[in-house]
Amino acid sequence: MAKCTISGVSLKGIVSGVPSRRFDNFKDATGFTEDEVRKVVGMAGVKSRRMAGDAVCSSDLCQAAAEDLLGKIGWPRDSVDALIMVTQSPDYLLPSTACLLQTKLGLPTTCAAFDVGLGCSGYPYGLYLGALMISGGGIKRALVLHGETPSRFADESDRSVSLLFGDAGSATALEAGGADGEAPWSFVLHSDGSGFEDLIIPGGGFRERFPEDRRRYYVSMNGANIFSFSIKRVPAVIQDTLELAGIGKDDIDYYVFHQSNQFIMRHLAKKMGIAEAKMPLTLGDFGNTGGPSIPLTITQGNLERPAGRALTLMLVGYGVGLSWASALVRLGPGAVLGHAEVQNQP
Amino acid sequence: MSAVAKSTSEILTWVADIFETPADGIRPETKRDEIDAWDSLGILTLIARMDEDFQVLLTEDEIQELRSVGDIIEVLRRHGGVADNP
Repeated sequence: MAKCTISGVSLKGIVSGVPSRRFDNFKDATGFTEDEVRKVVGMAGVKSRRMAGDAVCSSDLCQAAAEDLLGKIGWPRDSVDALIMVTQSPDYLLPSTACLLQTKLGLPTTCAAFDVGLGCSGYPYGLYLGALMISGGGIKRALVLHGETPSRFADESDRSVSLLFGDAGSATALEAGGADGEAPWSFVLHSDGSGFEDLIIPGGGFRERFPEDRRRYYVSMNGANIFSFSIKRVPAVIQDTLELAGIGKDDIDYYVFHQSNQFIMRHLAKKMGIAEAKMPLTLGDFGNTGGPSIPLTITQGNLERPAGRALTLMLVGYGVGLSWASALVRLGPGAVLGHAEVQNQP
Repeated sequence: MSAVAKSTSEILTWVADIFETPADGIRPETKRDEIDAWDSLGILTLIARMDEDFQVLLTEDEIQELRSVGDIIEVLRRHGGVADNP
């Protein structure tokens, strides 16, 4: 079973990045009656979203976040040993977006850089890989970037995905050396590809290279199956993570979930007896931004940070793959949080 | 039988409540497309209420099976959620 604890790594900072262009679901949505919008917004909880449009890629959002983060934490560019880019909306099928970002960010050519093709579960996986590389030795500083532009692969006329998706990027800095006496981080990582068709862009890959039907290039989602999967898997992965860490449910300061849909998230919170105050929601302002919704919610979810003590965060990603994962990490009092915007107003 | 099992008539009222529709319009033979609120959002509410009220987690196959109110009763019966016999 894929579960492990990792020590000796600290989280230096997280910056999220979104496009400046704001889409108000009530004012800007066309092709829907007011009642339809109200119903969807009432359920999913998405009032407005940030939209990348045709010119902004997930790499641009991550670049802006990383530039801001590197400035804030004062890391010289040549001190970064590894860059991991987690995305399912890459600039190109090849090369890896991580290589583009290595040069755009002015990182040294001695830096390891690679992509990870995961979506909703990508942030815990990315943190796991970054922490693992550091704990393996040789790498002292790693940047984990996670960005998606789901609004660019969603067909707004498809009622199962419309009004839901926004775009976001993020940058997270990991460094060797944990705080004295700090408990290790815990990770549980799972997958079930039998549900691969429940959330899929069927066309444009090498299984279906150039489909004639343009809709095959857009995402297709079976919301009922994804919800059913979430109810089954999320409580279990949280329970497994708590047991692995040897702590109780109440020892977690915040449960930061992938912001999938307000109805689903509230059901999960109720089912697990998690107080809503411990589960920040950013869907209202940003929509479902895929996996980057976790770092976005850490920076934008109004987390209270008591002086002199690290926050214990349970981060849970679940969805496309199907894939789900948790990361139980500590956000120390010195860790920097920030938020950047990429200007793309029409 | 589940500790939370309901009679068939209680389930009909329960279905009506989920889809916010008058109970007298809900019979086992009522089809999915005859219930306005049983759409892609309504199915999420149904899945959530099955979990909350009966502790029943539906499989993907069971979700695909649900085409009428009778199918809902049948799935619940299989999970011990129905107190009376057909």
